[in-house]
Amino acid sequence: MALSGSETPAFDSENLRELKQKVVDGCHILDREGITDGFGHVSIRVPGTEAFITIASVSPGCATLKRLVMLDLNGQYLGGQNTPPYEWPIHACIFKARPDVMSVCHTHSRWSSLFSVLRGGLPPIHMYAKFLPPKGPPIYPAAGLIGTVERGEALARTLQDSAAVLLRAHGDAVIGASLEQAILRTLQLAFLGELAHMAVAHGEPLYLSQEELGTFAADRSFPARPWEYYLSRIRERHSA
Amino acid sequence: MSHQGVVMTGNRKDVPKIDSSELKELTEKLITACHILDHEGVTDGYGHISVRVPCADAFVTIANVSPGCVTRDRLIMQDLDGNYLDGAKTPPNEWPIHSCILKARPEIVSVAHTHSKWSTIFSVLPIKLKPMHHYGKFLSADGPPVYQGVGLVRTVERGTELAAALGKAPAVLMRAHGDAVVGESVEQVIERTTRLAMLGEWNHLALLHGEPKYLSAEELKVYNEDQRFPMRGWEYYVSRLGERQ
Repeated sequence: MALSGSETPAFDSENLRELKQKVVDGCHILDREGITDGFGHVSIRVPGTEAFITIASVSPGCATLKRLVMLDLNGQYLGGQNTPPYEWPIHACIFKARPDVMSVCHTHSRWSSLFSVLRGGLPPIHMYAKFLPPKGPPIYPAAGLIGTVERGEALARTLQDSAAVLLRAHGDAVIGASLEQAILRTLQLAFLGELAHMAVAHGEPLYLSQEELGTFAADRSFPARPWEYYLSRIRERHSA
Repeated sequence: MSHQGVVMTGNRKDVPKIDSSELKELTEKLITACHILDHEGVTDGYGHISVRVPCADAFVTIANVSPGCVTRDRLIMQDLDGNYLDGAKTPPNEWPIHSCILKARPEIVSVAHTHSKWSTIFSVLPIKLKPMHHYGKFLSADGPPVYQGVGLVRTVERGTELAAALGKAPAVLMRAHGDAVVGESVEQVIERTTRLAMLGEWNHLALLHGEPKYLSAEELKVYNEDQRFPMRGWEYYVSRLGERQ
Protein backbone atom coordinates (compact mmCIF):
# COMPACT_ATOMS: atom_id res chain seq x y z
CA MET A 1 0.00 0.00 0.00
CA ALA A 2 1.19 3.49 -0.75
CA LEU A 3 1.64 5.51 2.39
CA SER A 4 2.16 9.12 1.45
CA GLY A 5 4.84 10.87 3.38
CA SER A 6 6.95 7.77 3.95
CA GLU A 7 10.56 8.25 3.15
CA THR A 8 11.59 6.71 -0.16
CA PRO A 9 14.83 4.73 0.05
CA ALA A 10 17.70 6.02 -2.10
CA PHE A 11 17.79 4.38 -5.51
CA ASP A 12 21.16 2.76 -4.81
CA SER A 13 20.27 1.56 -1.33
CA GLU A 14 20.62 -2.13 -0.63
CA ASN A 15 16.96 -2.60 0.28
CA LEU A 16 15.84 -1.79 -3.27
CA ARG A 17 18.15 -4.35 -4.81
CA GLU A 18 15.67 -7.20 -4.74
CA LEU A 19 12.91 -5.09 -6.30
CA LYS A 20 15.25 -3.94 -9.04
CA GLN A 21 16.35 -7.49 -9.81
CA LYS A 22 12.70 -8.50 -10.01
CA VAL A 23 11.98 -5.78 -12.58
CA VAL A 24 14.93 -6.92 -14.71
CA ASP A 25 13.91 -10.59 -14.42
CA GLY A 26 10.31 -9.75 -15.26
CA CYS A 27 11.45 -7.85 -18.36
CA HIS A 28 13.67 -10.69 -19.51
CA ILE A 29 10.84 -13.17 -19.03
CA LEU A 30 8.47 -11.13 -21.21
CA ASP A 31 11.17 -10.94 -23.86
CA ARG A 32 12.07 -14.62 -23.63
CA GLU A 33 8.42 -15.64 -23.94
CA GLY A 34 8.00 -13.56 -27.09
CA ILE A 35 5.72 -10.88 -25.67
CA THR A 36 7.88 -7.78 -26.06
CA ASP A 37 10.13 -6.50 -28.81
CA GLY A 38 12.06 -3.23 -28.72
CA PHE A 39 9.29 -1.72 -26.61
CA GLY A 40 7.22 -2.30 -23.50
CA HIS A 41 7.99 -1.92 -19.80
CA VAL A 42 7.49 -3.41 -16.37
CA SER A 43 7.21 -1.41 -13.15
CA ILE A 44 7.14 -2.16 -9.44
CA ARG A 45 5.88 0.05 -6.64
CA VAL A 46 8.34 0.73 -3.85
CA PRO A 47 6.28 -0.58 -0.91
CA GLY A 48 5.01 2.04 1.49
CA THR A 49 6.02 4.99 -0.71
CA GLU A 50 4.74 7.10 -3.59
CA ALA A 51 7.50 5.81 -5.84
CA PHE A 52 7.98 3.15 -8.49
CA ILE A 53 10.86 1.65 -10.43
CA THR A 54 10.74 0.88 -14.14
CA ILE A 55 13.11 0.51 -17.08
CA ALA A 56 14.83 3.60 -18.46
CA SER A 57 13.94 3.80 -22.17
CA VAL A 58 15.39 0.44 -23.11
CA SER A 59 13.90 -2.71 -24.59
CA PRO A 60 12.78 -5.12 -21.85
CA GLY A 61 15.09 -7.67 -23.45
CA CYS A 62 18.07 -5.35 -22.90
CA ALA A 63 17.17 -4.19 -19.37
CA THR A 64 19.93 -4.27 -16.73
CA LEU A 65 20.15 -3.12 -13.09
CA LYS A 66 21.86 0.03 -14.35
CA ARG A 67 19.14 0.87 -16.84
CA LEU A 68 16.34 1.44 -14.35
CA VAL A 69 14.75 4.67 -13.16
CA MET A 70 12.78 5.55 -10.03
CA LEU A 71 9.95 8.09 -10.33
CA ASP A 72 7.27 9.37 -8.01
CA LEU A 73 3.59 9.14 -8.93
CA ASN A 74 3.76 12.57 -10.60
CA GLY A 75 6.64 11.45 -12.79
CA GLN A 76 9.31 13.34 -10.81
CA TYR A 77 12.74 11.77 -11.10
CA LEU A 78 13.96 10.12 -7.89
CA GLY A 79 17.04 8.17 -9.00
CA GLY A 80 18.67 5.83 -11.47
CA GLN A 81 19.27 6.41 -15.17
CA ASN A 82 17.52 9.67 -15.92
CA THR A 83 15.75 8.62 -19.11
CA PRO A 84 12.24 7.69 -17.98
CA PRO A 85 10.11 5.81 -20.48
CA TYR A 86 7.96 8.12 -22.59
CA GLU A 87 4.84 6.32 -21.36
CA TRP A 88 5.63 6.60 -17.63
CA PRO A 89 2.05 7.88 -17.03
CA ILE A 90 0.75 4.36 -17.71
CA HIS A 91 2.43 3.31 -14.48
CA ALA A 92 2.07 6.47 -12.40
CA CYS A 93 -1.63 6.95 -13.15
CA ILE A 94 -2.54 3.30 -12.52
CA PHE A 95 -0.55 3.23 -9.25
CA LYS A 96 -2.31 6.41 -8.19
CA ALA A 97 -5.78 5.15 -9.07
CA ARG A 98 -5.25 1.64 -7.70
CA PRO A 99 -3.51 1.45 -4.30
CA ASP A 100 -3.88 -2.36 -4.47
CA VAL A 101 -1.60 -2.55 -7.50
CA MET A 102 2.07 -3.31 -6.87
CA SER A 103 3.20 -3.87 -10.45
CA VAL A 104 2.20 -2.86 -13.99
CA CYS A 105 3.29 -4.38 -17.30
CA HIS A 106 2.80 -2.59 -20.61
CA THR A 107 3.44 -4.54 -23.82
CA HIS A 108 2.72 -4.51 -27.54
CA SER A 109 1.80 -8.21 -27.35
CA ARG A 110 0.54 -9.30 -30.74
CA TRP A 111 -2.44 -11.05 -29.19
CA SER A 112 -3.51 -8.04 -27.18
CA SER A 113 -2.91 -5.82 -30.19
CA LEU A 114 -5.05 -8.15 -32.29
CA PHE A 115 -8.02 -8.31 -29.93
CA SER A 116 -7.77 -4.57 -29.34
CA VAL A 117 -8.95 -3.94 -32.92
CA LEU A 118 -11.46 -6.77 -33.23
CA ARG A 119 -15.15 -6.26 -32.65
CA GLY A 120 -15.88 -9.38 -30.63
CA GLY A 121 -13.73 -8.81 -27.55
CA LEU A 122 -11.82 -11.57 -25.77
CA PRO A 123 -14.34 -13.67 -23.80
CA PRO A 124 -13.03 -16.37 -21.41
CA ILE A 125 -11.93 -19.41 -23.38
CA HIS A 126 -9.73 -21.02 -20.71
CA MET A 127 -9.56 -21.02 -16.93
CA TYR A 128 -6.60 -18.63 -17.15
CA ALA A 129 -9.25 -15.99 -17.87
CA LYS A 130 -10.23 -16.15 -14.22
CA PHE A 131 -8.41 -12.91 -13.51
CA LEU A 132 -10.31 -11.03 -16.23
CA PRO A 133 -13.81 -9.51 -16.22
CA PRO A 134 -16.45 -11.99 -17.51
CA LYS A 135 -16.68 -10.29 -20.91
CA GLY A 136 -12.94 -9.95 -21.30
CA PRO A 137 -10.68 -6.95 -20.67
CA PRO A 138 -11.93 -3.43 -21.40
CA ILE A 139 -10.45 -1.60 -24.41
CA TYR A 140 -8.94 1.88 -24.21
CA PRO A 141 -10.01 3.30 -27.58
CA ALA A 142 -8.01 6.51 -28.05
CA ALA A 143 -5.06 7.00 -30.40
CA GLY A 144 -1.70 8.24 -29.17
CA LEU A 145 1.02 6.97 -26.86
CA ILE A 146 0.32 7.45 -23.15
CA GLY A 147 2.84 10.27 -22.86
CA THR A 148 0.70 12.61 -20.74
CA VAL A 149 -0.99 12.41 -17.34
CA GLU A 150 -4.28 13.20 -19.06
CA ARG A 151 -3.99 10.10 -21.23
CA GLY A 152 -2.70 8.05 -18.29
CA GLU A 153 -5.73 9.02 -16.22
CA ALA A 154 -8.07 8.15 -19.09
CA LEU A 155 -6.36 4.76 -19.36
CA ALA A 156 -6.69 4.15 -15.61
CA ARG A 157 -10.41 5.04 -15.87
CA THR A 158 -10.86 2.47 -18.66
CA LEU A 159 -8.98 -0.13 -16.61
CA GLN A 160 -11.17 0.69 -13.61
CA ASP A 161 -11.07 -2.33 -11.29
CA SER A 162 -10.05 -4.81 -13.99
CA ALA A 163 -6.72 -6.64 -13.96
CA ALA A 164 -5.94 -5.81 -17.57
CA VAL A 165 -6.85 -3.30 -20.25
CA LEU A 166 -6.26 -3.57 -23.99
CA LEU A 167 -5.00 -0.41 -25.71
CA ARG A 168 -6.49 -0.15 -29.17
CA ALA A 169 -3.93 -0.56 -31.97
CA HIS A 170 -1.25 -0.49 -29.31
CA GLY A 171 -1.13 -3.41 -26.85
CA ASP A 172 -2.05 -3.92 -23.21
CA ALA A 173 -1.50 -2.87 -19.61
CA VAL A 174 -1.73 -5.60 -16.98
CA ILE A 175 -1.60 -5.13 -13.23
CA GLY A 176 -0.80 -7.36 -10.30
CA ALA A 177 -0.68 -7.43 -6.52
CA SER A 178 2.92 -8.51 -7.07
CA LEU A 179 5.32 -8.26 -9.98
CA GLU A 180 5.20 -12.03 -10.37
CA GLN A 181 1.44 -11.87 -10.73
CA ALA A 182 1.55 -9.03 -13.29
CA ILE A 183 4.07 -10.98 -15.40
CA LEU A 184 2.10 -14.21 -15.16
CA ARG A 185 -1.13 -12.45 -16.12
CA THR A 186 0.57 -10.79 -19.09
CA LEU A 187 1.68 -14.21 -20.31
CA GLN A 188 -1.76 -15.69 -19.66
CA LEU A 189 -3.46 -12.85 -21.51
CA ALA A 190 -1.28 -13.63 -24.54
CA PHE A 191 -2.07 -17.33 -24.23
CA LEU A 192 -5.80 -16.54 -24.07
CA GLY A 193 -5.55 -14.33 -27.14
CA GLU A 194 -3.75 -16.97 -29.13
CA LEU A 195 -6.23 -19.66 -28.09
CA ALA A 196 -9.24 -17.50 -28.90
CA HIS A 197 -7.73 -16.65 -32.27
CA MET A 198 -7.15 -20.29 -33.14
CA ALA A 199 -10.55 -21.39 -31.89
CA VAL A 200 -12.41 -18.88 -34.01
CA ALA A 201 -10.97 -20.56 -37.11
CA HIS A 202 -13.25 -23.49 -36.24
CA GLY A 203 -16.40 -21.53 -35.52
CA GLU A 204 -17.78 -20.10 -32.28
CA PRO A 205 -16.01 -21.75 -29.32
CA LEU A 206 -17.74 -22.81 -26.09
CA TYR A 207 -16.67 -19.92 -23.90
CA LEU A 208 -16.75 -20.28 -20.12
CA SER A 209 -19.71 -18.70 -18.37
CA GLN A 210 -19.13 -16.59 -15.30
CA GLU A 211 -20.47 -19.40 -13.10
CA GLU A 212 -18.16 -21.91 -14.76
CA LEU A 213 -15.21 -19.58 -14.34
CA GLY A 214 -16.11 -19.35 -10.67
CA THR A 215 -15.53 -23.06 -10.19
CA PHE A 216 -11.85 -22.66 -11.04
CA ALA A 217 -9.49 -21.60 -8.30
CA ALA A 218 -8.60 -17.95 -8.15
CA ASP A 219 -5.20 -16.75 -9.31
CA ARG A 220 -4.74 -14.62 -6.22
CA SER A 221 -2.22 -16.87 -4.58
CA PHE A 222 1.43 -16.07 -5.06
CA PRO A 223 2.30 -17.50 -8.48
CA ALA A 224 5.56 -19.05 -7.32
CA ARG A 225 5.45 -22.10 -9.57
CA PRO A 226 5.27 -20.41 -12.97
CA TRP A 227 7.68 -17.69 -11.79
CA GLU A 228 10.27 -20.33 -10.96
CA TYR A 229 9.63 -21.95 -14.32
CA TYR A 230 9.97 -18.77 -16.36
CA LEU A 231 13.06 -17.77 -14.38
CA SER A 232 14.61 -21.12 -15.25
CA ARG A 233 14.03 -20.37 -18.92
CA ILE A 234 15.82 -17.02 -18.82
CA ARG A 235 18.65 -18.51 -16.77
CA GLU A 236 19.10 -21.09 -19.52
CA ARG A 237 19.55 -18.31 -21.99
CA HIS A 238 21.98 -16.34 -19.89
CA SER A 239 24.12 -19.33 -19.09
CA ALA A 240 24.09 -20.65 -22.66
CA MET B 1 24.59 8.30 -37.04
CA SER B 2 21.44 8.93 -38.98
CA HIS B 3 21.27 11.52 -41.71
CA GLN B 4 17.63 12.34 -41.30
CA GLY B 5 16.43 15.37 -43.17
CA VAL B 6 19.72 15.91 -45.02
CA VAL B 7 19.65 15.64 -48.79
CA MET B 8 22.39 13.18 -49.55
CA THR B 9 22.81 13.37 -53.32
CA GLY B 10 25.57 15.26 -55.01
CA ASN B 11 28.27 15.07 -57.59
CA ARG B 12 31.11 14.50 -55.22
CA LYS B 13 34.18 13.60 -57.27
CA ASP B 14 36.25 11.84 -54.62
CA VAL B 15 33.85 8.98 -53.93
CA PRO B 16 35.42 7.12 -50.99
CA LYS B 17 36.55 3.52 -51.43
CA ILE B 18 34.31 0.84 -50.01
CA ASP B 19 36.89 -0.11 -47.36
CA SER B 20 37.80 3.49 -46.49
CA SER B 21 37.66 4.62 -42.88
CA GLU B 22 35.01 7.15 -43.93
CA LEU B 23 32.60 4.38 -44.93
CA LYS B 24 33.54 1.93 -42.18
CA GLU B 25 30.68 2.79 -39.84
CA LEU B 26 28.15 2.83 -42.67
CA THR B 27 29.22 -0.48 -44.19
CA GLU B 28 29.32 -2.17 -40.78
CA LYS B 29 25.82 -0.89 -40.13
CA LEU B 30 24.70 -2.25 -43.49
CA ILE B 31 26.04 -5.71 -42.62
CA THR B 32 24.38 -5.61 -39.19
CA ALA B 33 21.11 -4.55 -40.82
CA CYS B 34 21.25 -7.53 -43.22
CA HIS B 35 21.89 -9.91 -40.34
CA ILE B 36 18.96 -8.43 -38.42
CA LEU B 37 16.51 -9.03 -41.26
CA ASP B 38 17.80 -12.58 -41.50
CA HIS B 39 17.66 -13.21 -37.76
CA GLU B 40 14.13 -11.80 -37.51
CA GLY B 41 12.94 -14.15 -40.23
CA VAL B 42 12.23 -11.55 -42.90
CA THR B 43 14.79 -12.62 -45.52
CA ASP B 44 15.89 -16.02 -46.82
CA GLY B 45 18.50 -16.63 -49.52
CA TYR B 46 17.43 -13.41 -51.22
CA GLY B 47 16.84 -9.77 -50.51
CA HIS B 48 19.20 -6.83 -50.12
CA ILE B 49 19.72 -3.55 -48.36
CA SER B 50 21.54 -0.56 -49.78
CA VAL B 51 22.91 2.62 -48.30
CA ARG B 52 23.71 5.80 -50.19
CA VAL B 53 27.32 6.99 -50.10
CA PRO B 54 27.07 10.40 -48.40
CA CYS B 55 26.99 13.28 -50.87
CA ALA B 56 27.68 11.03 -53.87
CA ASP B 57 25.60 9.49 -56.64
CA ALA B 58 26.62 6.07 -55.43
CA PHE B 59 25.42 3.35 -53.10
CA VAL B 60 26.74 0.27 -51.35
CA THR B 61 24.77 -2.97 -51.30
CA ILE B 62 25.44 -6.68 -50.93
CA ALA B 63 27.14 -8.55 -53.74
CA ASN B 64 24.81 -11.34 -54.79
CA VAL B 65 24.75 -13.06 -51.40
CA SER B 66 22.00 -13.80 -48.89
CA PRO B 67 21.62 -11.03 -46.31
CA GLY B 68 22.24 -13.72 -43.69
CA CYS B 69 25.65 -14.56 -45.19
CA VAL B 70 26.97 -11.10 -45.98
CA THR B 71 30.49 -10.14 -44.86
CA ARG B 72 32.72 -7.10 -45.44
CA ASP B 73 34.30 -8.55 -48.55
CA ARG B 74 30.92 -9.25 -50.12
CA LEU B 75 29.81 -5.65 -50.53
CA ILE B 76 29.67 -3.73 -53.78
CA MET B 77 29.57 -0.02 -54.64
CA GLN B 78 27.74 1.13 -57.76
CA ASP B 79 26.73 4.50 -59.14
CA LEU B 80 23.09 5.39 -59.73
CA ASP B 81 23.32 4.11 -63.32
CA GLY B 82 24.50 0.75 -62.06
CA ASN B 83 28.15 1.17 -63.05
CA TYR B 84 30.58 -0.76 -60.90
CA LEU B 85 32.69 1.44 -58.65
CA ASP B 86 34.31 -0.76 -56.00
CA GLY B 87 34.16 -3.93 -53.95
CA ALA B 88 33.08 -7.43 -54.96
CA LYS B 89 32.29 -7.59 -58.66
CA THR B 90 28.96 -9.39 -58.49
CA PRO B 91 26.11 -6.87 -58.32
CA PRO B 92 22.76 -8.18 -57.14
CA ASN B 93 20.42 -8.98 -60.02
CA GLU B 94 17.99 -6.35 -58.90
CA TRP B 95 20.35 -3.41 -58.39
CA PRO B 96 17.89 -1.13 -60.27
CA ILE B 97 15.56 -1.34 -57.24
CA HIS B 98 18.16 0.64 -55.34
CA SER B 99 19.55 2.93 -58.01
CA CYS B 100 16.16 3.95 -59.39
CA ILE B 101 14.64 4.64 -55.96
CA LEU B 102 17.73 6.51 -54.74
CA LYS B 103 17.60 8.58 -57.95
CA ALA B 104 13.90 9.36 -57.60
CA ARG B 105 14.02 10.10 -53.87
CA PRO B 106 17.01 12.31 -52.97
CA GLU B 107 16.02 12.38 -49.28
CA ILE B 108 16.27 8.60 -49.01
CA VAL B 109 19.46 7.14 -47.55
CA SER B 110 18.67 3.44 -47.48
CA VAL B 111 16.49 0.91 -49.31
CA ALA B 112 15.62 -2.66 -48.30
CA HIS B 113 14.18 -5.23 -50.69
CA THR B 114 12.84 -8.47 -49.22
CA HIS B 115 10.63 -11.42 -50.06
CA SER B 116 8.90 -11.07 -46.68
CA LYS B 117 6.07 -13.59 -46.53
CA TRP B 118 3.71 -10.97 -45.12
CA SER B 119 4.39 -8.40 -47.82
CA THR B 120 4.12 -11.11 -50.43
CA ILE B 121 0.76 -12.35 -49.23
CA PHE B 122 -0.78 -8.86 -49.16
CA SER B 123 0.74 -8.13 -52.58
CA VAL B 124 -1.61 -10.71 -54.12
CA LEU B 125 -4.75 -10.21 -52.02
CA PRO B 126 -7.68 -7.98 -52.95
CA ILE B 127 -7.68 -6.66 -49.39
CA LYS B 128 -5.03 -4.14 -48.36
CA LEU B 129 -2.46 -4.27 -45.59
CA LYS B 130 -3.48 -1.28 -43.49
CA PRO B 131 -2.31 0.20 -40.18
CA MET B 132 -4.17 -1.59 -37.38
CA HIS B 133 -1.38 -0.86 -34.89
CA HIS B 134 0.67 2.25 -34.29
CA TYR B 135 3.69 0.38 -35.62
CA GLY B 136 2.08 1.25 -38.96
CA LYS B 137 2.14 4.98 -38.31
CA PHE B 138 4.77 5.48 -41.01
CA LEU B 139 2.24 4.27 -43.59
CA SER B 140 -0.79 6.09 -44.90
CA ALA B 141 -4.20 4.97 -43.65
CA ASP B 142 -4.83 2.95 -46.81
CA GLY B 143 -1.52 1.14 -46.56
CA PRO B 144 1.40 0.80 -48.98
CA PRO B 145 0.92 0.92 -52.76
CA VAL B 146 1.42 -2.27 -54.79
CA TYR B 147 3.72 -2.51 -57.80
CA GLN B 148 1.87 -4.73 -60.27
CA GLY B 149 4.70 -5.43 -62.70
CA VAL B 150 5.81 -9.02 -63.21
CA GLY B 151 9.42 -10.09 -63.40
CA LEU B 152 12.53 -9.35 -61.37
CA VAL B 153 13.51 -5.70 -61.33
CA ARG B 154 16.65 -6.20 -63.39
CA THR B 155 16.29 -3.30 -65.79
CA VAL B 156 16.27 0.45 -65.31
CA GLU B 157 12.88 0.51 -67.01
CA ARG B 158 11.38 -1.74 -64.34
CA GLY B 159 13.25 0.06 -61.60
CA THR B 160 11.78 3.35 -62.79
CA GLU B 161 8.29 1.84 -62.81
CA LEU B 162 8.83 0.54 -59.30
CA ALA B 163 9.99 3.97 -58.11
CA ALA B 164 6.89 5.48 -59.73
CA ALA B 165 4.67 2.98 -57.91
CA LEU B 166 6.43 3.82 -54.64
CA GLY B 167 5.90 7.53 -55.26
CA LYS B 168 6.35 9.43 -51.99
CA ALA B 169 5.45 6.40 -49.84
CA PRO B 170 7.78 4.74 -47.32
CA ALA B 171 7.18 1.26 -48.75
CA VAL B 172 5.81 -0.50 -51.80
CA LEU B 173 4.62 -4.07 -52.05
CA MET B 174 5.72 -5.95 -55.18
CA ARG B 175 3.10 -8.33 -56.53
CA ALA B 176 3.98 -12.01 -56.09
CA HIS B 177 7.46 -10.90 -55.11
CA GLY B 178 7.87 -8.95 -51.82
CA ASP B 179 8.52 -5.36 -50.89
CA ALA B 180 10.83 -2.37 -51.11
CA VAL B 181 11.09 -0.16 -48.04
CA VAL B 182 12.89 3.18 -47.85
CA GLY B 183 14.16 5.38 -45.05
CA GLU B 184 16.33 8.30 -44.12
CA SER B 185 18.71 6.01 -42.23
CA VAL B 186 19.58 2.32 -42.19
CA GLU B 187 18.02 2.04 -38.72
CA GLN B 188 14.77 3.51 -39.97
CA VAL B 189 14.64 1.09 -42.88
CA ILE B 190 15.13 -1.84 -40.51
CA GLU B 191 12.44 -0.54 -38.17
CA ARG B 192 10.03 -0.08 -41.07
CA THR B 193 10.81 -3.42 -42.71
CA THR B 194 10.38 -5.41 -39.49
CA ARG B 195 7.22 -3.49 -38.62
CA LEU B 196 5.76 -3.95 -42.08
CA ALA B 197 6.23 -7.70 -41.58
CA MET B 198 4.59 -7.54 -38.12
CA LEU B 199 1.69 -5.55 -39.51
CA GLY B 200 1.25 -8.01 -42.33
CA GLU B 201 1.14 -10.86 -39.85
CA TRP B 202 -1.28 -9.04 -37.56
CA ASN B 203 -3.53 -8.02 -40.47
CA HIS B 204 -3.58 -11.64 -41.53
CA LEU B 205 -4.55 -12.74 -38.01
CA ALA B 206 -7.21 -10.05 -37.70
CA LEU B 207 -8.89 -10.67 -41.04
CA LEU B 208 -9.86 -14.16 -39.96
CA HIS B 209 -12.26 -12.48 -37.54
CA GLY B 210 -13.74 -9.93 -39.94
CA GLU B 211 -12.72 -6.38 -40.64
CA PRO B 212 -10.63 -4.91 -37.80
CA LYS B 213 -10.88 -1.31 -36.60
CA TYR B 214 -8.03 0.22 -38.57
CA LEU B 215 -6.39 3.47 -37.53
CA SER B 216 -7.79 6.48 -39.39
CA ALA B 217 -5.59 9.13 -41.01
CA GLU B 218 -6.41 11.41 -38.09
CA GLU B 219 -5.44 8.79 -35.51
CA LEU B 220 -2.19 8.10 -37.34
CA LYS B 221 -1.49 11.82 -37.14
CA VAL B 222 -1.95 11.72 -33.36
CA TYR B 223 0.57 8.89 -33.12
CA ASN B 224 2.98 10.69 -35.43
CA GLU B 225 2.93 13.68 -33.10
CA ASP B 226 4.30 11.51 -30.26
CA GLN B 227 8.00 11.31 -29.60
CA ARG B 228 10.04 8.83 -31.67
CA PHE B 229 12.66 6.32 -30.54
CA PRO B 230 14.65 5.35 -33.64
CA MET B 231 17.42 3.54 -31.73
CA ARG B 232 15.46 1.47 -29.20
CA GLY B 233 14.43 -1.29 -31.58
CA TRP B 234 17.83 -1.22 -33.29
CA GLU B 235 19.64 -1.83 -29.99
CA TYR B 236 17.25 -4.68 -29.24
CA TYR B 237 17.69 -6.37 -32.61
CA VAL B 238 21.46 -5.99 -32.40
CA SER B 239 21.37 -7.65 -28.95
CA ARG B 240 19.56 -10.62 -30.46
CA LEU B 241 22.32 -11.04 -33.05
CA GLY B 242 24.80 -11.28 -30.18
CA GLU B 243 22.91 -14.26 -28.84
CA ARG B 244 23.16 -16.00 -32.18
CA GLN B 245 26.91 -15.68 -32.45
